[in-house]
Amino acid sequence: MTDGKEPPAGKPPENPFPAVLPAGPEAGGFLRDRHQARRYRRETLIRAAWFICAFFAVITIFFIFAFLLLDAYPIFEEIGIWNFLTGPIWNPTGTPPAYGIWPLIVDTILATLLAMAIAIPLGVGSAIYIAELAPYRVKAVVKPAVELLAGIPSVVFGFFGLIVLTTWIRVSFDVPSGETWLAGSLLLALISLPVIISVSEDALSSAPREYKEGSLALGATHWQTISRVLTPAALSGITAAIILGVGRAAGETMAVLMVTGNAPVIPEPIYNVLSPIRTLTGTLGIEMGEVPVDSTHYYALFGVAVVLLVITLVINYTATVVLARIKRQQAPSAADCARKKPEAPGWRERGEAFFRTYRVPIVWGLLALALSGFFGVTGIAATIILYLVVRFVPPRVSPKWEQRVAFSLAGLCIIVVLLSLGVILFDIISKGLPYVTWEFLTSPPSNLGREGGIAPAIVGTMYLVIGSIAIALPLGIGAAIYLTEYAKQGRLVALIRTATDLLNGTPSIVFGLFGFAFLVLYLGFGVCLLAGQITLALMVLPTIIRTTEESLITVPISIREGSLALGASKWQTIRKVVLPPSVPGILTGTILSIGRVAGETAPILFTAVIFSTRFLPSSLFQPVMALPYHLYILATNVPGAKGQQYATALVLLVLVVAFYAIAIWIRYRSSARHHW
Amino acid sequence: MTETTIISTTHLNLYYGDNNAVKDVSMEIPDKRVTALIGPSGCGKSTLIRCFNRMNDLVPGVRITGQIDFRGENIYGRGADPVEIRRKIGMVFQKPNPFPKSVYENVAYGPRIHGINDKKRLDEIVERSLRNAALWDEVNERLKDSAMGLSGGQQQRLCIARTLAVEPEVILMDEPCSALDPIATSKIETLINELKKQYCVIIVTHNMQQAARVSDYTGFMYLGEMIECGTTTQIFEHPREELTENYITGRFG
Repeated sequence: MTDGKEPPAGKPPENPFPAVLPAGPEAGGFLRDRHQARRYRRETLIRAAWFICAFFAVITIFFIFAFLLLDAYPIFEEIGIWNFLTGPIWNPTGTPPAYGIWPLIVDTILATLLAMAIAIPLGVGSAIYIAELAPYRVKAVVKPAVELLAGIPSVVFGFFGLIVLTTWIRVSFDVPSGETWLAGSLLLALISLPVIISVSEDALSSAPREYKEGSLALGATHWQTISRVLTPAALSGITAAIILGVGRAAGETMAVLMVTGNAPVIPEPIYNVLSPIRTLTGTLGIEMGEVPVDSTHYYALFGVAVVLLVITLVINYTATVVLARIKRQQAPSAADCARKKPEAPGWRERGEAFFRTYRVPIVWGLLALALSGFFGVTGIAATIILYLVVRFVPPRVSPKWEQRVAFSLAGLCIIVVLLSLGVILFDIISKGLPYVTWEFLTSPPSNLGREGGIAPAIVGTMYLVIGSIAIALPLGIGAAIYLTEYAKQGRLVALIRTATDLLNGTPSIVFGLFGFAFLVLYLGFGVCLLAGQITLALMVLPTIIRTTEESLITVPISIREGSLALGASKWQTIRKVVLPPSVPGILTGTILSIGRVAGETAPILFTAVIFSTRFLPSSLFQPVMALPYHLYILATNVPGAKGQQYATALVLLVLVVAFYAIAIWIRYRSSARHHW
Repeated sequence: MTETTIISTTHLNLYYGDNNAVKDVSMEIPDKRVTALIGPSGCGKSTLIRCFNRMNDLVPGVRITGQIDFRGENIYGRGADPVEIRRKIGMVFQKPNPFPKSVYENVAYGPRIHGINDKKRLDEIVERSLRNAALWDEVNERLKDSAMGLSGGQQQRLCIARTLAVEPEVILMDEPCSALDPIATSKIETLINELKKQYCVIIVTHNMQQAARVSDYTGFMYLGEMIECGTTTQIFEHPREELTENYITGRFG
């Protein structure tokens, strides 16, 4: 094209953009030369490093399975899997010993079910309140408070349950002992609440604002918007929250062990919540410490661990599958579109169609069953009346009324949650404070912990936290980066993801058993600090992976594209554009992990701790004292140490709160949350 | 003076799974000119423009056949490095996507990742890029403020400045004004006119007036096919194909 605008030849146009970047090679200039080859190698190495981190999860789950099965095999061989699972009596120390775990399985399921019946409505209600209803100032207080609840170690819950809750149950229900199924489930509900609340709340808050505005603009009330637009949009997150809650409840050891009475019986009748029960986890916690290695009883306990693991893994795997399907329905990928629909409906489709057609009777039937379980005929009658009311009383309530009722309920949920937190804190602080003296904090225990202090336990817990986080954080972040940024859908990635999910659902006591079998015995570490640190690191690894992944995912694709379109490499894009806004999310995950590590008892029970020592460990291969374990022993095995018990509980609480406070402070400082 | 072709495509096909989104497109794009791609929604114009800097590599399930030559070399050939390609062929997206960093850091990001860390040179590059993107006067007081606080039009010009800072040879614009108001749009159009003195600009737009105003060449796409391309004057005044005529005269469908 020749036109007047072209400058005359000989005088080059004035270049407003003189080159300052090093000129590339000739021609197109995008072929790999030496410089690019070096960068390419670096990118490949980085990718490989993250892949190894991710693959670590697979290796771990494999090792856990291998070592548990190895140690459980003799019991299956000796009495048979079927007899082991369905045997009605668990009495390994009787004559003759009986190794039937049926009552333990039933009790575990019952405890989890009741806990979830309490925790799910409370948790989701609270999440809705925090995400949508709370004024800014209230939210600024309530959210950290919920995080705080998550930080309370389960052994502190157990201690509170043992001292206060069981007494309350014994008195108010007039039963001989308050150590019951009800006590266990109440504690489990409290323990699983924080995770249900925070994960649901995150999901609700991160639903696109456009959805909300779109709905409100159509004249929907706030509640209609929440219930019909936001909640469905956040459904996968809420489902994830519930799964995590179930996992937490089914795998919890210390709290249930301390308040359920530990009688290996099935409640009689089955809905008798005032019956003592004994869960699979509790059995391991009580008996593992006293059993001779390589006895039949020892093998039987590993058998229990395998069953526990299988149960939790099945729950988690089902949940993972459900989650993946929800996600796919919401955002079908190109590959799914391309996939041809099967011609005849498979069993799964037929099952779904069946459920869709009959969902009303199914749901009501289940409700009737549940209520009749607890209240007998009265329950069935109540269900029928409820059904008639819902079905035939015309919905005269105006949307405004409906909103008012719903919002009150959500507010009530959060009040119940905070009140529980308040009661526990008040009890422990008011009774523990008088005993916390300088001497108590700085001297070793004496007279079985009735006198003296807890200095070695404080230091030991610090060591355990620092070591395990130092191991888990790089591994977890690396794995998350690999899974979100590099992984393409494939068999291997599916395997890694499944392994991570399974690891996440593995109960902490199982980690303890694995650490015992693998680190302490097989590798010959002995009971020591390092064994505890590694065990704890494995336990929190999935938490770190998951939370990091979640926060990486919230960085929009368009931001990544913006960086890549400028010629940034993949790793440059991740490091400079994707990771910085994800830091607060990663910190949240780390906070949760630190809280768990500092407060967990079960994983270190057989790997790292001793009850009493006057000295600090001088190497990684010596055992340590730890606060949660110290509290556990004081509360259950040392009569007449009430002051020391409360003081130890208080110190443990304060320590965890301190970790939390620091982390929360860092998070608020580093983020005014990005709105994309 | 004859024009040099900077990008040419030969029998380019793109599939999302089984869906053939770009069908057998062969075209040449001249340097230092503005080429517009027009066509109804879903006709594949955005998909096509994203082939030019291999942005489609990031979409799972995409398959591409045929070739695209940039200065005579196939960017989908063996040894072609997508990172290097994207440095030479920059892109501005439909929705402004500034990084959650300061205005200054947004522009300095590209030079930094390409190895420039000298503060003085970065300052120079940032100022020049912002000036060339006609944004300097509006933001020079608040270079340290977050880019997320700028207006939509300013954000989009910031994204252009960010692209200029890495000195590409081609700038791809994927409906750069579709999220902007008329004043911001006219600023960007004026800017495009300036940019073509130095760069090859390829712009996707569904606004035909915009194509007529800013472009020298126009390609009309329909259902994944390149129906017709030629000079903008020819396409708008003497379209060869009936389909093109129907579209530009608004008698469509």
